[in-house]
Amino acid sequence: MQNQNSVQTGKVLVVGGGVGGIRAALDIAESGGDVVLVDNAYSIGGLMTQLDRTFPTNNCDLCTLSPHLSESGRELHIDLKTMTDVTGIQGEAGAFEVTLKTWPRYIDVEKCTACGECLESFPECIRFTPGLDHRAPTCMRYPQATPWSYSVDMDKCNDPEALEKTCKIGAILPDDEAKETLIEVSAVILAPGASIFDPSHLDHFGKGLYDNVFTSLEYERILSASGPTGGILVRPSDGKQPKRIAWIQCVGSRGIQKGAASYCSSACCMFATKEAIVTRERFKDDIETVIFYMDMRTSGKDYELYYQRAKDEFGVRFVRSRPHSVVQNPKDMNLAVCYTQDEKSENITEEFDMVVLSTGFMISEETREMAEVMGIKLNPHGFAETASFKPVETSRPGIFVCGMFESPKDIPETMVQGSAAACKALGIVPRGKQAKAPADSAVENQWDDYDGYEAFPPERDVTDETPRTGVFVCDCGFNIGGVIDVPALVDYCKTIAGVEVAIAVGHGCSGESQKNIESYIKEHQLNRVVIGGCSPRTHETKFQDMVRRAGLNKYLVEIANIRDQDTWVHRDQPEIAANKARELIRMAVARVKLSIPLVDYTLPMNKDILVVGGGVAGMTSALALADRGFKVFLAERSPRLGGMAANIRKTLEGEDVRSKVAEMIERTMNHEKIQVMAPAIIVDHSGMPGMFTTGVQSGPQMFYTSIKHGVTILATGALPNKPSEYLLNEHDAVVTQLELDERIEDDPDSVKNAANVVMIQCVGSRTKENPNCSRVCCQAAVKNALRIIDLNPDANIIVLYRDMRTYGFQEDYYKEAREKGVIFVRYSLETKPAVEADEDKVTVTFNEPILGIKASVTADILCLSTGFISDDESTEDLGFIFHLQRTDDGYFLEDHIKLRPVDLPVPGFFVAGTAHSPKNIRESIAQAQAAAGRAQTLLSQDEINLGASVAKVDGKKCAACLICVRACPYSIPFINADGYSEIDPARCHGCGICAAECPAKAIQLMQFQDDQILARLDGLFERMN
Amino acid sequence: MKDFEPVIVAFCCHYCAYTAADMAGSKRIAYPANVKIIRVPCSGKVDTIHIMKALENGADGVYVAGCLEGDCHFKNGNLRALQRVKQVQALLEEIGIEPERVEMVAMSAGMGERFAEVAFEITDKIRKLGPNPLKAGMENAKAA
Repeated sequence: MQNQNSVQTGKVLVVGGGVGGIRAALDIAESGGDVVLVDNAYSIGGLMTQLDRTFPTNNCDLCTLSPHLSESGRELHIDLKTMTDVTGIQGEAGAFEVTLKTWPRYIDVEKCTACGECLESFPECIRFTPGLDHRAPTCMRYPQATPWSYSVDMDKCNDPEALEKTCKIGAILPDDEAKETLIEVSAVILAPGASIFDPSHLDHFGKGLYDNVFTSLEYERILSASGPTGGILVRPSDGKQPKRIAWIQCVGSRGIQKGAASYCSSACCMFATKEAIVTRERFKDDIETVIFYMDMRTSGKDYELYYQRAKDEFGVRFVRSRPHSVVQNPKDMNLAVCYTQDEKSENITEEFDMVVLSTGFMISEETREMAEVMGIKLNPHGFAETASFKPVETSRPGIFVCGMFESPKDIPETMVQGSAAACKALGIVPRGKQAKAPADSAVENQWDDYDGYEAFPPERDVTDETPRTGVFVCDCGFNIGGVIDVPALVDYCKTIAGVEVAIAVGHGCSGESQKNIESYIKEHQLNRVVIGGCSPRTHETKFQDMVRRAGLNKYLVEIANIRDQDTWVHRDQPEIAANKARELIRMAVARVKLSIPLVDYTLPMNKDILVVGGGVAGMTSALALADRGFKVFLAERSPRLGGMAANIRKTLEGEDVRSKVAEMIERTMNHEKIQVMAPAIIVDHSGMPGMFTTGVQSGPQMFYTSIKHGVTILATGALPNKPSEYLLNEHDAVVTQLELDERIEDDPDSVKNAANVVMIQCVGSRTKENPNCSRVCCQAAVKNALRIIDLNPDANIIVLYRDMRTYGFQEDYYKEAREKGVIFVRYSLETKPAVEADEDKVTVTFNEPILGIKASVTADILCLSTGFISDDESTEDLGFIFHLQRTDDGYFLEDHIKLRPVDLPVPGFFVAGTAHSPKNIRESIAQAQAAAGRAQTLLSQDEINLGASVAKVDGKKCAACLICVRACPYSIPFINADGYSEIDPARCHGCGICAAECPAKAIQLMQFQDDQILARLDGLFERMN
Repeated sequence: MKDFEPVIVAFCCHYCAYTAADMAGSKRIAYPANVKIIRVPCSGKVDTIHIMKALENGADGVYVAGCLEGDCHFKNGNLRALQRVKQVQALLEEIGIEPERVEMVAMSAGMGERFAEVAFEITDKIRKLGPNPLKAGMENAKAA
């Protein structure tokens, strides 16, 4: 499967096969680039595959993604190497030479079908992660990902010869050896992920000492149906269901001793809340859940709502305290959690049946070694060093980073960085190399082995032929053949009406069998094909390609799932399995008879891009795409570019924002591939992905222009909030963080002499009117406090906060601010501070919870952390014009909150920056790069394949009742000039809801027509029409 | 009646229940062979007529298996399916057939165990209900 020398320099190496690495690899592959994906584990999937469910949807989210992953053609571009380390790298961006070392697996991945024979005979030495984890097989089982294969631990095997013999197809290789490979790549993406803090040396929490203390990941495994207890939640000490469970946050994070990291691990507040909610969902009031936290850091998109729901709807109790210790009661093995609270200066002891430690993320020694090999700089915490304006670039050009290795983060942010890293890496790959192999060049020969590049013969017209069906039954080794009598089944198939030939084909997916089936199709002039084999979910495209090679339309093949849904399920009841196989094949034969040749809808791709919004995010996307040679239209509402960042002076890390933004504006304005339209407003829009038409009014006269483009990126930003609270907009001493940032830089003298500065957090955020967290205000407060201290070390600075949300490495600055004397005082919604004017100053009165007193400060400057509100008017208008959904608080709603944080639900639309949710510059830029990366997956195609499963209206039957118009989740059907419903095949998503709702049965969903569905019933009940 | 083995048709959404069924297979979790799976692109594609025809053809029970609420690949197909199932139940009630023969269930693609569980539960339930009364009618008609 290896192609030789010349094509290799276009490749990208991705190190690490967790969700971030997979996302990056898929994006590059979908953009036509070649990827070598290496992982040192024996199957890929990373940390996420161990999770039971993910917040905030509490679903198995990877499953939602998997259908997109199993599309054919990807494996062409991704070369997966598991059990592989990177041992050396030479060269520079565009021309790296990387040495890989692959450890022996002792299994031929190409041959292994994961039948499980070897595992049954030698359970001690066979490794198979998917089997241990109920999520992995389906979730990750797409052809190029998890090798659907076992691996052997030879050290534990006493009898390699006997082991070798258990495998009937000879996939076990006892003499397998470590191999070294040298590859040439243009760019490298590091996505090694993080490891989990090991709390076993923390004797005060009793992990390892007491049976009923777990880490959060262990608890996740216990909740999981495939976990060690089969999803049954019991205490190991006595096998009883716990009644009270406590979570302790920040174990191994935000610490200063015992090996803990000083940074915040960012994701633990949410996963502990999720675990508590899932527990309450399952056990209701039978289990009491308490979370001990320092600050609840639920600052992601809609995360604050999740936190509030945990409290209000699920009754999870949140206690703000860092417990001192966990002590086991030797009698009943209960755990006493000892803690104290601000309000009461007393020691409180509460007893729990189980304690879960929310352990944070660390960078492993292995990853540090890999970083050393790569020659990249690490920050003091061992993470890859990056910068705000270069969020996925390491210190070594051409080497990029995504996911946890950049900083601790959750899955959506990892996904964003994965796509961003893919975009940056593609930027180095020569554009010609990235394009698909042209059909007429010498390169073609190299692709000959691959199905996708073989030229298909013309399709035979079968419309007037009577159905002649061939049934081909796989035995899949012992998977089918070991349970039922395949020859007998074949004999039975011959008796089904309409079946011309039926034969057994061994492994139908093997090259040899496919050729055999093709010759049968031609020889017997078959025009319908049924495969009795595995799941159409995984193998339909393979067999579709096969019938195409035999000159048939690809929709004339049907797979009867006699393995996954029959012999695997009923393997102990061969009689029943055989009977079910007969039924399944009968149903498929009845169905395939009514199959009709269909044509996939394709459209030529327009490769221009419209970017709406000229802030940092919009400019980043535009520049990334323009640098790749794409034509970009950039429409900005205001007369100037720069957006909100143009008003920001410094980042928390001290980077100068103004010069960077100015540089960006300069590049954007002068880029020959970017047409800037400012001021501009979007007025109308039509078309479909690949061929949109958008009307823009722009320039001083607001002339109307119609732009044709293939994709659209929305980077319209959010607005700085300015609520009328605490004398803001009334008193000169009251400013926002944004205004203070400007004053510190532009007029430091006005700040220098301030003796007392008070800051109030969460003004206009986390309130009834604006329930979400604005995410950036805590870091802004810490940033400005530190800068004021720099100007005037004697200044008294008091920050009134609800939860300090300095996630990730921002925690370092929070710590520094405390060390430098900034006073942080907590308030709650019930004890909000009060502000009164006092001549040119203001008096701030607030509760001091530790001392239990009311304190008053006369402040020279009162700085309000007002955060963001969505640009409601813009998103509403644009949402209406582009048919996009919005969140309740007016941000654009992405296609999938976890896995597709950049894609909007309307194909061809992407979102970046604060139009998606509040975020800082670094995060906005990452998302903008990700949007450019995701856009390239579409732009690399010359045409858009829309499939054939679309709804069709029979105008004669249509009564124009409007039911389909209302039922369609995407508002596609409309009543045309002839007075009946019309459905644009290019925009139809193929769900079939309209077809099911249509009272006149005037609508049919191709591939799933009513007669085809009913034919299955006929086949099942053996009644012929 | 002693050896009554019900025939149950399960319309399964490609994105969840059908995948969950494959998952049950790959984990070798057994479930009753009484359940006959028909794959649909979305549970919202299942028409009342499909359910009624299944019963007319002789199915003793029918269920529609869609995604968990809020998880539909096509936004709200599963909710529409639920409405239709309720509609069929009302129709059955009217003509004197137990509405419990028809049901809507929800699961995610990862829930192989749940798929098997549901298959067991529904098979048990239908077994207790006995054969589809229409079948007796059809037999009588044939005999006459």
